[in-house]
Amino acid sequence: MKNNLAERRLERDWTQADLAKALGVSRQTVISIERERFDPSLPLAFLIAQTFSCAIEDIFTAGVAA
Amino acid sequence: MPFRAEPKSDRVVSDQTADRRAPVSHFLLAIAFGSIATIAVSLVVAATNPEDFWLAAGIGALCAAYPAFALGARIFVTNNTITRDARGDASVELTWMRQAAAGAFLDVLLTTIVLAVALMVLRLDVDALVVLLVLIGLSAADAVLRYLAIRHRALK
Repeated sequence: MKNNLAERRLERDWTQADLAKALGVSRQTVISIERERFDPSLPLAFLIAQTFSCAIEDIFTAGVAA
Repeated sequence: MPFRAEPKSDRVVSDQTADRRAPVSHFLLAIAFGSIATIAVSLVVAATNPEDFWLAAGIGALCAAYPAFALGARIFVTNNTITRDARGDASVELTWMRQAAAGAFLDVLLTTIVLAVALMVLRLDVDALVVLLVLIGLSAADAVLRYLAIRHRALK
């Protein structure tokens, strides 16, 4: 899955550690998601969308990660 | 919003648990616990093999040292230094561990099959204790190396 998580995080001037703390996951998890090397679970995807006040499809889109 | 970060453009990124420290006394307690547990296990193993007392004690100590010291660290140190992630089951580390464990299992299974066939064909007799120790070492080393490789590939 492709995503724009890094752009959305930087718009809020959050570090990866800030986002990890907000989501209750490790910083490596945020790094892996941003690099599109790890697809989050559905509950985590919902939580990410909730954190950024948008829908899941606004952040994640279908497609093969680089 | 469950969380609101303050704008900090030049902040050094750090883990949320990085500023937590355990007292030195807790490290000493962990070492003492690990030593006592290791010695206890090695003495039990040695007592059941009095003809090879020191060899058995050494093997017992080798097998018990890692879990004993790890348990000591878990009880006395990490309770002060590590905060459990609220959604740790959704973290990528769990996926890495599962991948590493699955790969290590297949490696050990394949190795066992190949060795068993080789021993049958060559009609060799091998001490079961040696085989078990090799399998323990192989599976542990395999899982650790696979985890590190997966982690390195994901984060590079």
